[in-house]
Amino acid sequence: MSAAVADTKNASTLLEVENLAVEFDTYGGTVQAVRGVNFTVQAGKTLAIVGESGCGKSVTVQSMMGLIPMPPGRITAGSARLRGQEILGRTLVDGREIRGSQIGMIFQDPMTSLNPTMTIGKQIAEPLQVHRGYSAKKAFARAIELLEMSKIPEAAKRASQYPFEFSGGMLQRAMIAMAISCKPSILIADEPTTALDVTIQAQILDLLQDLQKETGMAIVLITHDLGVVARMADEVAVMYAGKIVEHGSVDDVFYRSAHPYTLGLKLAMPNNDPSRQHTLQPIEGSPPDLFSPPLGCGYCARCPYAMQLCCSKHPQEFVMSGAHYSRCWLHHAAALSKPEELYFSATQGDQ
Amino acid sequence: MWSYLLKRLLQGILTVWFIATATFFAMHNVPGDPLSDERVMTAAIRANLEAKYGLDQPLMTQYLIYLRNISRGDFGISFTQENREVNDIIREHFPVSATLGILAVLFATVGGVLWGALTALYRNRLPDVLIMFLVILGISVPSFVVAALSQLSLVNLNDFFGRTILPVAGWGTVSHMLVPAMVLGLGTMAYLTRLMRSSMLEIVSSDYVRTAKSKGLPPERIFTRHQLRNAILPVVTVLGPSIAAITTGGFVVELVFAIPGLGRYFVEAVQQLDYTVIMGTTVFYGAFLVFMVILVDVLYVFIDPRVELN
Repeated sequence: MSAAVADTKNASTLLEVENLAVEFDTYGGTVQAVRGVNFTVQAGKTLAIVGESGCGKSVTVQSMMGLIPMPPGRITAGSARLRGQEILGRTLVDGREIRGSQIGMIFQDPMTSLNPTMTIGKQIAEPLQVHRGYSAKKAFARAIELLEMSKIPEAAKRASQYPFEFSGGMLQRAMIAMAISCKPSILIADEPTTALDVTIQAQILDLLQDLQKETGMAIVLITHDLGVVARMADEVAVMYAGKIVEHGSVDDVFYRSAHPYTLGLKLAMPNNDPSRQHTLQPIEGSPPDLFSPPLGCGYCARCPYAMQLCCSKHPQEFVMSGAHYSRCWLHHAAALSKPEELYFSATQGDQ
Repeated sequence: MWSYLLKRLLQGILTVWFIATATFFAMHNVPGDPLSDERVMTAAIRANLEAKYGLDQPLMTQYLIYLRNISRGDFGISFTQENREVNDIIREHFPVSATLGILAVLFATVGGVLWGALTALYRNRLPDVLIMFLVILGISVPSFVVAALSQLSLVNLNDFFGRTILPVAGWGTVSHMLVPAMVLGLGTMAYLTRLMRSSMLEIVSSDYVRTAKSKGLPPERIFTRHQLRNAILPVVTVLGPSIAAITTGGFVVELVFAIPGLGRYFVEAVQQLDYTVIMGTTVFYGAFLVFMVILVDVLYVFIDPRVELN
């Protein structure tokens, strides 16, 4: 275990994911979607996992929730511990249901994520009936309260409507109400705003922040929108090709970016500040083939600063400070070039 | 809702009128004449019948007389059976056909939904492969073959136990109904199984089933509340045509199992050119099917909340 993980392991650590690896068998071969991921989630804080499509961010959280279809999926290594108790492959911790009770989850597309033939209220009431033993009537009454908490007007009337009578934003609010029904300590939000238009996105993010303040739950936010990260996150993990390449506080990652991929993402992000007008710089090329992942750093083929070593040997975690680390050989003391756009720790020579 | 029902009912009546008209003109183009057999009737009877149906009148007049009669619910008198009204034949024998048909539809629907769901849950494993093999058999083997084979099996079964476990043919008790209903429903059940399987497979990997799993619901609850209800929708859609397939398929099964249903009269009437019976039973069956299709459409509203009647 690296120093970075050890540092953060304290009383407020709620969830600890260690060396998680997930594979999928396909006709084309075995895809190594997640290749050894470590992170922790602190109580009441928001961890954002950022990365482009196919980098394994959704698979990471879905494997924790037991949502990976097995087969073809397979968790080949690693552990995920909630308050020190293993949850991978289990449904109960200390006799309490994990999914839907201690960890809630919302998804990308609210339009298809709710059962079309069941009323919203009944769907929200379900976890309460199953995990808390509420009667159908009591659970439905609570569902109305939860809809009110999620700021849905006329909640009592809305509760007995069907998903097709809701708009996309309203459905995502209902999803949130459902996910928090049993007061989970962690809410996993898998691209919660990707399918919504921009004004609604802001409302949903506000709602998530308000609910976090009210309930003190931790949020694991999966997104590829750096704007959302800046607004919501306390900590950020940048994922690429099934691995976390940079991790740190939101300020660390944005202002002291220590990995060329993070830098590339920032340059590819549009901004509306007229004083900082620049053309968007795409990251050339495409992510590596995860049927046969590269020996070295996954980003090496696209990295403008790649060295010979990068493509043959996988970099370890180079700690910048505290929990901020980067998996990039440029931080090695022996690396000759030190691009000035990149952040380098003063103590990096020690490694 | 009510205006929709009224509209559908009017459309239904129009359909029945079309069936009646088509049958009428088709029958008039069939060569032969039921009154031409001198042995059956005297000149007096012949004259009476001609006067009643206007058989000596032009075709259009006959057609109008025919329409007026059936709009009063009078399908006329059989041309070949003594003293029997078509209405009596229907009243006497349709309940038998209907009982058999309803049993067959129930058997096909329940069986199709259950087998379909089962094959989807055991996709590509032994139960799936086995059931799908039987389904393909059920779809491809015609009902008269299945009927004959099942009769043979019944004979062997009763022989083996030395007493009648299930009667081989006839009508009267529940034990008479079971095997014919299964034979009659088999093809439709096979078809519904296939439909249900593909619909279920689609839903097993749907987003809302994933949501249900993330809520930590037990698999039985996910199956009944989230998968079954949604997977059943396409099955309900084809239920109307399925009822039609089963009822029309009933003729053969009734014949093989010697069941006194309406189907036998229908077939015999065609062979004997019993005009009134042919036209009466055709129109009656047509009206029955149209009504069943409307019923299924209305039923759909209660199953899928997204459907509105208008």
